[in-house]
Amino acid sequence: MANYMIQKEKIKDNLLSLYSKENDFLLNKRLKTTLSNIITEKEIPNIKDEEWKKTSLNGIFKHKFEKGKKINVPNEFVNTFSFNDSDADRLVFVNGIFIAEKSKITQKLNNIYVGSLKDGLKTHKEIIKENYCKTDIHKQNFFTAINSMYSENGFFVYVPDNTILENPVHIVNFVHGDNKKVFSQTRNLIVAGKNSIIQLISSYHSLSEDFTLNNVATEFIAGENSSIKYYIFEGEGNLASIINNVSVNQQKGSSFKTNTSMLCGNLVRNEIHVKHEGEHCTTDLQGIYLPDKEQHFDNFLNINHGKPNCKSNQLYKGIIDNKAKAVFLGKVYVAKDAQKTDAAQSNKVLLLTDNAKSFSRPQLEIYADDVSCAHGSTTGQLDKEALFYMKTRGIPEAKAKTLLMTAFIGDVLDKIEISSYKDYVKYLVNKRLKGQKVEGLCTLKICPSC
Amino acid sequence: MLKIIDLKAEINGKEILKGINLEINPGEVHAIMGPNGSGKSTLASVLAGRDLFNVTGGKVIFKGKNLLDLLPEERSREGIFLAFQYPVEIPGVSITNFMRAALDEHRIHKGLKPMPAMEFLKYMKQKKALVEMDAKLEGRAVNEGFSGGEKKKNEVFQMAMLEPDLAILDETDSGLDIDALKVVANGVNKLKTNDNASIVITHYQRLLDFIVPDVIHVLYDGRIVKTGGKELALELENSGYDEIKLEADKLNN
Repeated sequence: MANYMIQKEKIKDNLLSLYSKENDFLLNKRLKTTLSNIITEKEIPNIKDEEWKKTSLNGIFKHKFEKGKKINVPNEFVNTFSFNDSDADRLVFVNGIFIAEKSKITQKLNNIYVGSLKDGLKTHKEIIKENYCKTDIHKQNFFTAINSMYSENGFFVYVPDNTILENPVHIVNFVHGDNKKVFSQTRNLIVAGKNSIIQLISSYHSLSEDFTLNNVATEFIAGENSSIKYYIFEGEGNLASIINNVSVNQQKGSSFKTNTSMLCGNLVRNEIHVKHEGEHCTTDLQGIYLPDKEQHFDNFLNINHGKPNCKSNQLYKGIIDNKAKAVFLGKVYVAKDAQKTDAAQSNKVLLLTDNAKSFSRPQLEIYADDVSCAHGSTTGQLDKEALFYMKTRGIPEAKAKTLLMTAFIGDVLDKIEISSYKDYVKYLVNKRLKGQKVEGLCTLKICPSC
Repeated sequence: MLKIIDLKAEINGKEILKGINLEINPGEVHAIMGPNGSGKSTLASVLAGRDLFNVTGGKVIFKGKNLLDLLPEERSREGIFLAFQYPVEIPGVSITNFMRAALDEHRIHKGLKPMPAMEFLKYMKQKKALVEMDAKLEGRAVNEGFSGGEKKKNEVFQMAMLEPDLAILDETDSGLDIDALKVVANGVNKLKTNDNASIVITHYQRLLDFIVPDVIHVLYDGRIVKTGGKELALELENSGYDEIKLEADKLNN
């Protein structure tokens, strides 16, 4: 036990030693004090924590981390991982460091801001000051706290009232260990004005076969009647881990939708926390996860229905191969006054082997009495009857399986509204389900699909 | 075309087929009738290659090949088609994609290139007309939410697409009203040539009014106990299976 305590302190010391001073975004003095206290008090999450019961970080913290450095990304890689996003604005980060020369920012009119958070201080300081940590993201856990205190950059998107961001913004996040074990952080902020419309893609990739940990925290402030669609693609290498926290405040009438594709990584944890601060909000969180080998993918969704007449939906589908492990925890909290809440939750999982594991836990906490809340969770194997049926038509077993798996997650992928991105994800998913290499990617030895 | 020699099969240690002998030539339609539990569907399943059943003896020669050595998908490509008694729903897989995948496999097996997309759609349209299948069904997932009649039409449609040498229709009449039955039977009849053959498995004589067999076999307790012409069906319709059962039981004892 004592040993364990020392170990935990060591991990904290290791991570904190990477940063000499707090970041530039703590424009509010009180926040700085709060953060210091949280960082001192909070422990590294461990399996004794209710929300981390099935996700142990011990494997990751066997290692001592160094801080990620700026590393040149060849254009070839930027192009490969840009998913044919020719219409999109593109922001490139390596180890949390913004690479302006590889980025492409075209949407600047009408006081729109698309760029790095650090650069945003020059023109939108007040907006950053007002909204940084507004979702209370820093109170979630130790990682969001150190991210809030020390993360040096990330992306910032500001869209003023009554403004539409015409093209999506694609944030391409690379990690590169350069033969070292590397810890990096990214801190993102999206402020959507009243009646604004925003589409974003965050994708995560490795550029080296190193042991890395990426601690990401992203805050969304969704103004009245705004509409936000956020796509997450996780395809880092087999040794690369991500702890990703998304926190959202939704104002009256706003719509917030996510669509997550988890294809590769060592340990990948996504938390999405959504809070309704006004009536008639819509939240739709969807995702697929395809862990293979000994990968560990964890999704924690937490929707706080604080106001009446709001609607939320969670649909997550997983296909678990080999000895991989998947965790799904879906929380829906309905406050006493949140009458007429309409919340649905569904988690469906296919286990491909006897050693694959899936933990699924729906959790509804309802204090209002006039609500509609539905939840369902299924875990099963590929339908043997369907496989036989397909084989009797001449389709070989492997192909029949691929067809069934593709169909299983098809409804989630079909919800992606950026067609170039959708095609790319479908292509990679298809390759992944067939166990095929991806041309141009696998030769890099950092294929995002296997 | 098909020669079944002393075929025996069991499930969970229980013998279901106790020595079936049957020979089918090109151009022939054979009906297999028999009471519930006599082994009719088991025979169909064993021929299609369902691994639930354990073949414990005998041989099946199909077009000169040992059928039992082949995987279900290989049997299909060699020209065996099983129309299921209970067609399986495949959520999320459209009929078009399903048939595309199946037809590609059949063509590759024959040394042909996959059919170009336009040609495929035309081919599919033509085959659908054969069973009066609703055009709206093609975008839908295979059998998902289909009525009993639609499912059976879909089976015959698939048969039309794959043009098998030997079609095994397992209780294709079950769950059909008379109109749907006529459509399905009509489809099967249109697909009949001098080179292909079919096995029609049924409880009732009704289907055989529409698909007229050359030979009728009565299966009882895992054996073929009687074989005759199409008039045998009428006989059975009038007297039921009791007489045959009695005779067979006597013989066994």
